[in-house]
Amino acid sequence: MDSARPGHHPDNEPLRDGVPAAERLSAAEQLSGLDAVAAGSTGSPGAAHPGSGRLRRRGQGELEAQVLAVLRSADGPATAGWVQKHLEGDLAYTTVITILSRLYAKKAVTRSREGRSYTWTSASDEAGLAALRMRRVLDGERDRDAVLARFISALSPGDEERLRALLARADAPDDPDNPRDTEGL
Amino acid sequence: MGVFVCLPLVLPLTALPIARLAEQHLHPRSATRLLAVVGVLLALCSTLCLGLLMVVGTAQLPGNPLPDSWSDPQVRAAVPYEEKAGIVAIGALAAVLGACGWTVYRHVRLRIGAGRALAAAPSVVSGDIAVLPDPEPYAYALPGRPGRVVVSTAMTECLDARERRALIAHERAHLAARHHRCLLAVQLAARANPFLLPLRTAVSFSTERWADEEAACAVGDRRVVAVAVGKAALYSHRAPDVSVGFAAFAAPAGPVPRRVAALLAPVPPVRLWPPSSAHVALAALIAAVGTAASALSSLNAAVTLVGILHAATPL
Repeated sequence: MDSARPGHHPDNEPLRDGVPAAERLSAAEQLSGLDAVAAGSTGSPGAAHPGSGRLRRRGQGELEAQVLAVLRSADGPATAGWVQKHLEGDLAYTTVITILSRLYAKKAVTRSREGRSYTWTSASDEAGLAALRMRRVLDGERDRDAVLARFISALSPGDEERLRALLARADAPDDPDNPRDTEGL
Repeated sequence: MGVFVCLPLVLPLTALPIARLAEQHLHPRSATRLLAVVGVLLALCSTLCLGLLMVVGTAQLPGNPLPDSWSDPQVRAAVPYEEKAGIVAIGALAAVLGACGWTVYRHVRLRIGAGRALAAAPSVVSGDIAVLPDPEPYAYALPGRPGRVVVSTAMTECLDARERRALIAHERAHLAARHHRCLLAVQLAARANPFLLPLRTAVSFSTERWADEEAACAVGDRRVVAVAVGKAALYSHRAPDVSVGFAAFAAPAGPVPRRVAALLAPVPPVRLWPPSSAHVALAALIAAVGTAASALSSLNAAVTLVGILHAATPL
């Protein structure tokens, strides 16, 4: 990962502690641009952006869940360096920034500027992240009714009236416990 | 051969009356199975017919992959080739294979994607149910090993406890009866021959009805299931950003009110024989004759062609 982006810092250690915030920020900005490329093209971005190609192979979701878990274990807002230090495995700083940017785009984390760098706060838990990913899968499929047996499908305007009439009829005989069926819908 | 070889291409039309009538007159379980089997058979025959036309057609083209002996005059005399039909068949067959491949790919992709989304968050899954915190109301059965019922919190919030049980029972029925296989099969059939599209719609409706009936048995109250379906549909309809994904499926007749009405009506009879009306009997007869004719025609053509190929090719 380090050697994959020449010109950037070859070593993690000085980056985390000694590198000025401005440089970290520029890395973040560059990577969020790279992130957009990686998200936009499903082809092989490996040649132009080795970093993103590598990330894709390692399973985006897994890394996102890990980063989110670490962020949630923090007491308050955490810096990307802090996240990197507490992550299992040997992830590059830039990778952590990429994942955080991705989570930010999904509204799973929030960030605030502290000095010249960002601090990140978890805005959603693991379940929330799963929901976001599921929604993305579903929204990516235009004809999802064809694949998944869904509980409900579309209603045309006429259907809505018909359905209300039917439900009113269903409630009419005996209405023991749920009086809001008809007006509360 | 002759014009009869083309019959399987149009014979799927004979299944349309039964596809139309099955919904009202057959038990959803019988309707699903009957229509799925008929649809798949007709689609297979139709595709086989396309394949035969292509083989006959390509025998004329230079550089075709068939053995050289195919262009022997004797073989040409034996096969009433229509060059144009053959060339059209090549295109049609390629389109069918492409569409089917694309359908399978999307099916697999959606299942893998959804499975991964759940796998990344083991905490949301308890037993076979995964509840996802999402403001968009949805609920569906995600087939796999093991299959899972995926429900969003918005969906559970709009239903009370009994209706929620009905919803879960409905989705579990989908998983238990492996409805996704039926759905995929008729979807592929409709790709193979567009005349089978109404059959696909009918099957996807009857699988829903089937699951509704199973849920009604599990909960012990048809009315609860009816109310759950109705409430969920009205609630989703009101949600702002669902309409986009649903537009493709919007049927003018409206499947949801028909399901609710069927649930409020008495239990449909399970028996198949004697048929409940003369219309159904006639429609079933037409479909059966059509399917049989389609199978015979394409098998006959295939056997003839294989015979000629075998005779013409010194293998």
